[in-house]
Amino acid sequence: MIDPLAAVLVILYFLLMVGIGVWASKKIMCMSDYVVAGRSLNFWVFTMLMIGSVCSGMSLLGVSGLGFKFAWPTIWEQLAVPLSIAFCIIFFGVKMHAVAKKSGYMTVQDYLAHRFESQTSLRSLSATAGIVVSMIYLAGQYTAISIVLMWLFGLPHWMALLIGAAIVTVYTVIGGLYAVAWTTLIQGLILIVGVLIMAPIVIMAAGGFTHINEVMAAVNPSNVDPWVTGAGAVFTPSYIVSFVLLLTIGLACAPHVINNILCVRDAKYFKWAPLVAFGIYGVVMFLLKFAGFAGIVLVKDGIVQLPKVPNASDFIFVYGVQAAMPSMFLWGIFAVIVLAAVMSTTDRLMLTIGTYFSWDIYKKIIKPDAPDKQVLLVSQVSVFIAAAVTLLLALNPPDMLVWLIWAGIGIMYATFAVPLLAGLYWRRATREGALASMALGLGASLVFGAISYFKLASLPMHFSFFAFVIAIISMIVVSLMTKPTSEKVLDETLTGWYIRQK
Amino acid sequence: MFGLPIMTIVLVGGAFLLIILALLYWGLTFKEIPA
Repeated sequence: MIDPLAAVLVILYFLLMVGIGVWASKKIMCMSDYVVAGRSLNFWVFTMLMIGSVCSGMSLLGVSGLGFKFAWPTIWEQLAVPLSIAFCIIFFGVKMHAVAKKSGYMTVQDYLAHRFESQTSLRSLSATAGIVVSMIYLAGQYTAISIVLMWLFGLPHWMALLIGAAIVTVYTVIGGLYAVAWTTLIQGLILIVGVLIMAPIVIMAAGGFTHINEVMAAVNPSNVDPWVTGAGAVFTPSYIVSFVLLLTIGLACAPHVINNILCVRDAKYFKWAPLVAFGIYGVVMFLLKFAGFAGIVLVKDGIVQLPKVPNASDFIFVYGVQAAMPSMFLWGIFAVIVLAAVMSTTDRLMLTIGTYFSWDIYKKIIKPDAPDKQVLLVSQVSVFIAAAVTLLLALNPPDMLVWLIWAGIGIMYATFAVPLLAGLYWRRATREGALASMALGLGASLVFGAISYFKLASLPMHFSFFAFVIAIISMIVVSLMTKPTSEKVLDETLTGWYIRQK
Repeated sequence: MFGLPIMTIVLVGGAFLLIILALLYWGLTFKEIPA
C-alpha cells in the first residue's frame, strides 16, 4: 500500500525538477548557454555540480551494498571518490579552464583537438568513446532510480525505469546545463541533509558504530581489517591500489565530470572548491558506508530481510531505512533523497552525450556550417535518443549495480586519463600518441572488462588498471616515434610540467 | 577503539587527515594562472 503523503512528496519533487527545467529553458539563447550555462556558475553551484556529478546511484545504493558485502576493506572508496573531485579541479581544471576561457572551448574534445592538432580523428574518437562510456554509466544510474521506485511504489522494473527516465529527460532536454546545475544544487542539498539524518538513524538501529564493528569482527575477523589476503579475497592490497587509482583518476576524467570545469565563471573558485567538495562529500560517503555495515547486523539479527533478487545487496540501505523508521511518509522522504542523488548524475550524463554528439560530431565534423539553433536542436534530440537507448540497456541489470558503474568508470579511466594528463603536462605527447593511447586504452578496457565480468581468468587488480598501463605505454612509445606538436600550440595550451606557474 | 583494530584506524584516519592537509595547503598557496 502506498502512503498518499509519500506519493505526494515524490510527485512534488518531480514537479520541482521539471519547474527548474522550465525556468532554465528561458535562459537558453545559444549553444553556449545550453552546454556550459554561459560559463556563469558561481562557487556553490559549481561545487555542488561537481559533487552531484560524482555522487550517483553508486553513492547511495552501491556504496552501502558494497560495504554490506565486503565490509571494511572497501573503505578506501570513501577517500578515493571524494578525492576525484579535487583531482579533477587541480590536475585538469586549473590549466584547462585558463586555456578554455581564451579559446572558447565547449567540450573537452575542443581542448584535445587544439592540443593535439587533430580536428577530426581524435575529436571523433574521443567523443564516440565518451558517448559509449556515458551510456554504460547511465544504464547503472537508471537501475538505481528503478530500485527506489520499485521499492516505494511496488512498480514493475520497466515502469519504474520509464518514469524516472521521463522526468530527467524532460528537464535536461529543455533546460540544458542551467537546469542540470540548478537542479543539482537542490538535489545536492537534499542528499547531504538527508544522509546526515538517515544514515545515523540506521546505524543507531543496528546498535551503534562500535557494536556494528564488534558484530562484523565476530562474523569474520577480516571484516574490520583495512584489506584482506588469501585465496578468493577480492580487496587485497594490490586490488585496493588499482581501485583507488580507478576511482580517483577515472571519475576525475569522466566526461560528465571534467566538462563542468568549462562552466565556471571565475578561476578563483578552484582555490577552495577541492577542500570543500572533499570535506562535504567525504562525510556523506563515510556515513553511507557505515549504513551498509549496519546492514550486516540488521540482516544477521533478522530485522531486515533482503529481497530475493540478483542485486539484493544494493537494497540494503533502502531496507535498513525501512527497518529503522517504520513510517511510509519517512520512506517517501528517503526515496526523494535517493532519487536526488541518482538524478544529479543522470541528467549530467545525458547532457554530456547530447553535447558530444551535437557539438563534436555534428557541428565540428558532419556539418561545420550548421547554425547555432540547429546544433541546439540536434543536442536536444540526442539527449532524448540517449535516454531511450540507455533504458533498453538498463532493462536487465547486472548482479550488482556497483559493478556496472565501475565498469563505466574503468573504461573512462583507461580511455581518457592518459591523453588528458599527457596532453596537459608532457610537451612531447603527440597526436598519434594520443590516438593510440585512447584507442588501445578503450579496446583493452573492454577486453579486460569482459575477462573480469565473465570470470575467464582471475585478475589480481581491477581490470581497468591493465588497460591504463597499456594506454601509458602506447602514449610514450608512439609519441616518441612521431613528429612533435608545434611549439606555438604547446604554448597556447599551457603544456608543461607545471600546474600554475610557467 | 570503536571495535576496530588499531591498524584500520591509523591507516584510514591517517589517509583522511593527509588528504585534508594537502587540500588545505593547495588552498592557501593557490594563485590563478595570469591571463
